[in-house]
Amino acid sequence: MAYANPDVLVSAAWVLEHLKDPKVRIIEVDVDPKQYHAGHIPGAIGLDWTKDLQDPVQRDIPTKEHLETLLGSRGVSHEHTIVLYGDASNWFAAYGFWLLKLYGHKDVRLLDGGRSKWLATESLPMTNEVPSYPPTTYKAQALDLTYRARVVEALEASQKAKAAGAQLVDVRSPDEFSGKVIAPPGMTETAQRAGHIPGAVSVPWGSAVNQDGTFKSADELRQIYVEGKGLKAETPTVAYCRIGERSSHTWFVLKYLLGFKNVKNYDGSWTEYGSMIGVPIERDVR
Amino acid sequence: MHSSPENRVRSDAGRPDLDARVFESVLDMLPSEANPTPLVRLQRLVPPGSTLYAKLEWMNPFGSVKDRAAWEMLRDLEERGQLGEAKPGRGVVEPTSGNTGLSLAALASMRGYGMRAVVPSKVPDEKKALLRLAGAEVDVTTDALCPLPGSEDGAIGLARTYARAQGDKYVMPNQYENQANARAHERTTGPEIWRQTAGRVTHVFTALGTVGTATGLARYLRKQNPDVKIIAVQPSPGHDVPGLRNVSELSVSKLFDPSLISEILEIPHELAYTRAAELFRREGLRAGPSSGLIFEGARRVAERDGVGLGVMIFCDDVFKYVSSMRKHLPELGKFNVEGE
Repeated sequence: MAYANPDVLVSAAWVLEHLKDPKVRIIEVDVDPKQYHAGHIPGAIGLDWTKDLQDPVQRDIPTKEHLETLLGSRGVSHEHTIVLYGDASNWFAAYGFWLLKLYGHKDVRLLDGGRSKWLATESLPMTNEVPSYPPTTYKAQALDLTYRARVVEALEASQKAKAAGAQLVDVRSPDEFSGKVIAPPGMTETAQRAGHIPGAVSVPWGSAVNQDGTFKSADELRQIYVEGKGLKAETPTVAYCRIGERSSHTWFVLKYLLGFKNVKNYDGSWTEYGSMIGVPIERDVR
Repeated sequence: MHSSPENRVRSDAGRPDLDARVFESVLDMLPSEANPTPLVRLQRLVPPGSTLYAKLEWMNPFGSVKDRAAWEMLRDLEERGQLGEAKPGRGVVEPTSGNTGLSLAALASMRGYGMRAVVPSKVPDEKKALLRLAGAEVDVTTDALCPLPGSEDGAIGLARTYARAQGDKYVMPNQYENQANARAHERTTGPEIWRQTAGRVTHVFTALGTVGTATGLARYLRKQNPDVKIIAVQPSPGHDVPGLRNVSELSVSKLFDPSLISEILEIPHELAYTRAAELFRREGLRAGPSSGLIFEGARRVAERDGVGLGVMIFCDDVFKYVSSMRKHLPELGKFNVEGE
């Protein structure tokens, strides 16, 4: 079995061939923005998720205007093929992918294996030179919420999950799912309560990747998500984590690699859900 | 970075007077067969019929066994033209949160090179400050959230990135893969022990981290006497003993050669702390937690088999670990102003 949409993944060899391709813009988004500044793929633009990929004031994704100004000023147009990559097996690269899809960017791809795969190959070039491209006018589409779940939809999915009318995938670590911890140690973004959304299935994000950070094969993924966890491609699905980046990764896997029909990323995730008053929570650890 | 030759402290500035312990440069204090770190015999905590000596690696100029590997790796880079006059302006970058960073920072600075240490955020601020105190630039990386098993952490990735993308400024010694690390112990630790015990050593007890110590000294000592037992002591899984690895974590080291190790003992990690405290109180040895663990391993083998003449590599002293010691031995941290 092949990936449902193999075109959304590119290899390091593909990127190497397109380093100077004017139709391609390579963008790095890391959990830790220091990584980009120390070194990156030649010509890659660096985006900082903390500043560039969220609304600077309210807790939300960036507005259309914010995204247009950001990408236009960095020389990215809506016609470009955008290749995203980053640390932690592409967590925030996948978040960037999701965000660009919400705003209708046509051709977005992920570098399979992310920055660690590139770094592991000594012969591939790296630089710390920050590129400068002539500014463009980036035209985003109106925000399309097909792939975004808000808390209401998460609650709905939780209700419907009882009768198998929806499925919720919790991609956090087992200790976060069970309620042993609210967030991994040292994290500043946290919630008031520990546990998970009732009806959610626990499939940690890392289930989808090999040790070198590349995605597992379609057969392996099917084995894990479909046969192993009983998730169905036709059932409406909501993925969530703590702040929405690890679940973007799983959203990408379910939608593009396994071809699930209706998958949404709940970007409010546990920091929102676990802080709300009166919503039901399941917890295995007391 | 400042690697001009006139800025560089030489290691052969003058012949040290080892009897009077007068050195023309701190680099002359670095250990060698002629200038070994002390061996001290344990008096009270040894099972009857056995003899155990501690090799006090905290007597190295920068306080730990890591001075040896750091110095050998720097010299090796110089000899291969990767540092020094052949590469003006180049310094070193290493992912390290502990002793290696401190040794590298101090030695690099003596030799006129810059040093960048890349440290995971979970490392206590005291250690980060110590690295800066020794002259390093410090980058702190985010700890991995539910990391993939076996994946490289952020600190290793960032350090590699500096070396790859800014090769004019940085070379990465990489203690986990650099054969000079093991060679340091083959050249110094092994011969020192052989000389200090007049060839009577029967057992060496050491910990496993990068595995440079065990591999290097075993290579030397086995050549002198194939019957010398090299016993590695490791903490139980899930431990928090700084600098050590459980065998399940050893895949990160390319220096691990199981054929050189006679036996690997797994010790409950809590004993690292309680034994370290006993060593200080009963033997006057201010041993750090990894030394506590090594001592417990040696003590068990002495009880089980008897040990003719055992040497324990005590990696460093307890002064850097006061907060860890307080965590594991709560009685250390309770103070009552009004008196107990």
